[in-house]
Amino acid sequence: MFSNSWNTILEWFRDRSERSKLVRSFNESARVSFVAGIAPTLLKASISKGERSYRHQFSNWLNTGFRIQAFTGRVLSKDELIHIGKVILNDSVLVRRLVVLGFDTIEIHGDAGAYGCRWQLKDYIPLPNFNNDNNE
Amino acid sequence: MIIMNDTLIQDSLKVANNVLEQHSEFDKSFNLWMWIAILELGIIAFLLLKGRIRPKETAKQKFKNDSLKQTIDFNNIINSSFNSIQLYDELKVKCHPDRFPTNKDKNEIAVALFQEISKNKTNIKRLLELKEEAKQKLNINF
Repeated sequence: MFSNSWNTILEWFRDRSERSKLVRSFNESARVSFVAGIAPTLLKASISKGERSYRHQFSNWLNTGFRIQAFTGRVLSKDELIHIGKVILNDSVLVRRLVVLGFDTIEIHGDAGAYGCRWQLKDYIPLPNFNNDNNE
Repeated sequence: MIIMNDTLIQDSLKVANNVLEQHSEFDKSFNLWMWIAILELGIIAFLLLKGRIRPKETAKQKFKNDSLKQTIDFNNIINSSFNSIQLYDELKVKCHPDRFPTNKDKNEIAVALFQEISKNKTNIKRLLELKEEAKQKLNINF
């Protein structure tokens, strides 16, 4: 029991570290691409509250959203938002990583305007039912 | 004679002292080795138990650990977010199978390429690879 609790604590710290690392890596790549002129818009990732109805078996208790803000200085069209979202959702490795790190929502929005798009991650990855595994 | 007896007594006392000192040293060294042995036993027991105490990796943990081992190409994701549409539009026009109606071999290659292009429409890295493939196999000039 002690060992189990200890492992849970260690895992919690490891997950927190991995989540921060993921956001940092994304922001670093976005910054480098923007400076190099590869990307015309600066993207910035952050952790948001998320949508409770999108929960899955890996979801964290709090802050389950992966938010990407595009700094364009104008209102992004719906197609532009959807395209950025689709690029992320079509990368199966990134989606898998987001899911196991407790994220369940992807949010894309611009720096101007009042609307954005959001997707539930579990729709883009086949998640086996791991709950039965605990009884084995 | 009396003097000789005294020296004998003194010598025997010295011998007794020496024996006692040696014995006590032996006791000290014996204790030291005993403690070293106990420490070794403790280390061995810890190492043996450590393996047994470690919980069995569940399928969920395995899934998670496998996912964390994979590397993510963020540069490709950022680049694809802004530049993949143009490349996809160009490739889907130039590699369309209808452009090779008479040449059966090229038509088959174009069908396979077109399917792959449609599958990777948001992955610029893969689209660039397919562009090179199209140049070589279909002799398309971009």
